[in-house]
Amino acid sequence: MFEFSASALPAVYLFVMAASHSIKRRETVAFYLCISPWIIGFLLFVLGPMLASLWMSFHRWDLLRDPRFIGLANYQRLFREDPLFWQSLRVTLTYTLLYVPTELIGGLVLALLMNQRVRGISIFRTIFYLPSVLAGVAFVVVWMWLLHPEAGLVNAFLGLFGIPGPRWLTDPHTALYALWLMSIWGLGRTAIIYLAGLKDIPLALYEAAAIDGAGQGRSFLSITLPMLTPTIFFNLVLSIISTFQTFTSAFVATNGGPLDSTLFYVLYIYRNAFQTFQMGYASALAWVLFVIILLLTLLVVRSARSWVYYGGGSE
Amino acid sequence: MKRGNRRRQYLLPVLASALLLVLAACAAPVQETGDVAAEGGPSGGQIVLRVGTGDSGEGLKPHQEIIRRFEAANPDIKVQLEPVSGSDYYARLLTQIVADDAPDIMNIGDDAVPQFVAAEAFLPLDDFIAGDDSLDTSVYLPGLLEPGQWDGRQWFLPKDYSPLGVYYNKKIFDEYGVAYPEAGWTWDDLVAIAGELTKDTDGDGTTDLWGIQLPGPWTTGFEYWVAAAGGSLISEDGSTFIGYMDSPETTAAVQFYQDLYQTYKVAPLPADMSAFGGGNSEFDNGQAAMRIFGRWPQSGMLENPNIDLGVVGTPADAVDANVLFWGGFGIYSGTEYPEAAWRFLKFYAGPEGAEVWQDWALPAVASVAEEAGLNDDPIEGAWLGELDRLVPRAYVFTPYWGQAADPALRRVLETVILDPGADAAELTAAAAQEAQAALETAQEE
Repeated sequence: MFEFSASALPAVYLFVMAASHSIKRRETVAFYLCISPWIIGFLLFVLGPMLASLWMSFHRWDLLRDPRFIGLANYQRLFREDPLFWQSLRVTLTYTLLYVPTELIGGLVLALLMNQRVRGISIFRTIFYLPSVLAGVAFVVVWMWLLHPEAGLVNAFLGLFGIPGPRWLTDPHTALYALWLMSIWGLGRTAIIYLAGLKDIPLALYEAAAIDGAGQGRSFLSITLPMLTPTIFFNLVLSIISTFQTFTSAFVATNGGPLDSTLFYVLYIYRNAFQTFQMGYASALAWVLFVIILLLTLLVVRSARSWVYYGGGSE
Repeated sequence: MKRGNRRRQYLLPVLASALLLVLAACAAPVQETGDVAAEGGPSGGQIVLRVGTGDSGEGLKPHQEIIRRFEAANPDIKVQLEPVSGSDYYARLLTQIVADDAPDIMNIGDDAVPQFVAAEAFLPLDDFIAGDDSLDTSVYLPGLLEPGQWDGRQWFLPKDYSPLGVYYNKKIFDEYGVAYPEAGWTWDDLVAIAGELTKDTDGDGTTDLWGIQLPGPWTTGFEYWVAAAGGSLISEDGSTFIGYMDSPETTAAVQFYQDLYQTYKVAPLPADMSAFGGGNSEFDNGQAAMRIFGRWPQSGMLENPNIDLGVVGTPADAVDANVLFWGGFGIYSGTEYPEAAWRFLKFYAGPEGAEVWQDWALPAVASVAEEAGLNDDPIEGAWLGELDRLVPRAYVFTPYWGQAADPALRRVLETVILDPGADAAELTAAAAQEAQAALETAQEE
């Protein structure tokens, strides 16, 4: 299919160009051609595989034997017979509830600090952003050492105050919190986006407020926060989506354990697809996740009308 | 004119990028098919055989050395090694098999044998073994052909293997005047020795020296404990876990494992739960007197200044038992060159290849091990001696082991390691039910 659509492009282009007369139509054609690399990429590598996985979700397929149509049986098994599906959903939701507020508030605090006019501030910005540049696996491994129950720095530090450190990643009660702790290293990424938002707020607003006698707290609440709501909104949406797709930290540090306490949804999909090769079931899981994320995102977008302030005023 | 220019300004980058994309999307995987002659009559051309392996890094050296020797002796065949490292290896092979583009020779681990054979991805080797270019399979050490068999036929030849063994650090034993464990020892001996060598050396109330480092919730390794207790995890017809995974023998094995961690407290808790307890470093640091595991980390231990290494077979309880971990080579059922592939396979996994393997792993061929004096070596001899004590692993009774039973057993082990109050009998009973339900779901075909 793609061979046709892609290799036919030049011919289509010439044909359309010859047929089109008005500048407007020509510009339209140019527009589509200019975005065609993206469109083709999207069709080939995103939409195509998505539709294929939808098809697969109605089949039983271990890759080796031919796929066999089983209707909705995969979805039935998932909702009715699979406790691990519910467990993975529970783990993922808990993590979302922990992580999203942390990222939104922590990232903002970090951004406010990074927005100070201090000598060498760019060095601090670099330091705080650095972990986001590191490869995920490398930084998880570093954290595994930090959180090592006997030899780790974190427990050694707690020991200084006579606090017996928990067994972090090997205790089902603490493993998810340990992963949450690790994720705080990623705050720099959110903070950079906030920082851009902060830089976007016109100084004139602060000056006017200062003339009217507003203190720092007042201008933060009445200027910074409202002007920042579009950035908060953006970070909120991205943060929810990314927590639902958490994989690397759990895969590397705990492999979903102990006792499935860090069995993230995407890790469970991965296991079904690439460890036990149940492609159909894994596809069904993936589609359920897609629908959940879609609904949550729609909910957030819908709510945005009541709390996100866009400079141009409402339409 | 001007308008035309502008049009060209768009046109060129757009066409170029579209073209690039098409090229990228359509580029077929690179194959050296150009110089391949028809099999049997290589008239100046060479047959190119592709070999897939999950080894990587240093582990590729023996492959390359064997290939070099083979090519020197067989100028009509060129062998191309295709390594895929890590856990992606099977996923890669499966997609290649689906696309009918798999390597001619593939390296498979023991518990993947049933699945790949059931999918008809490999050629049976019996006709080759008995054919014109025959192979004497009696050259192999005991227990090494069986993992490559399925449904009464031979599908794979052995590449490398390891039973379990108990490493011990003579330095620690000598320091505390404890006798080394000897072949024929039992679980009671294990508890006694490990107890003697578990010590709080600085008197701060925490253990500084451990009796034995165990491989945590490593399910395949745990099959040894079940077998030694006289149990098995699944019925021999592969139909049920009930009465097996929850049998008194299996429960006793779970109980003993729990006791080592929680009652006798002679084993350090796992430092991570991810890979077979590999996160523990007590033995390497000289803080554990013994460690039960496969032969894989041995070369590092021999160079470790903290360790004066000894190896002994696994202790027996009700039954004298050990389990084998095994990798083998087979021929892809879609190969264009079965005869050439067999010629290489015979070399790769036969006496010639074993000459090279012996520098990297235990050789599979008895005469090679004999000539190298491995049987008389106190360490390698201990490993080789274990081949006489093997019991079959659970995967040979059902192709759904990994999918159905492994997660249930893993949960049992994680629970008993972490929770001193957990009841082994309740856990095994629940695990047998869970595994059975999963097995029945998997079998609904």
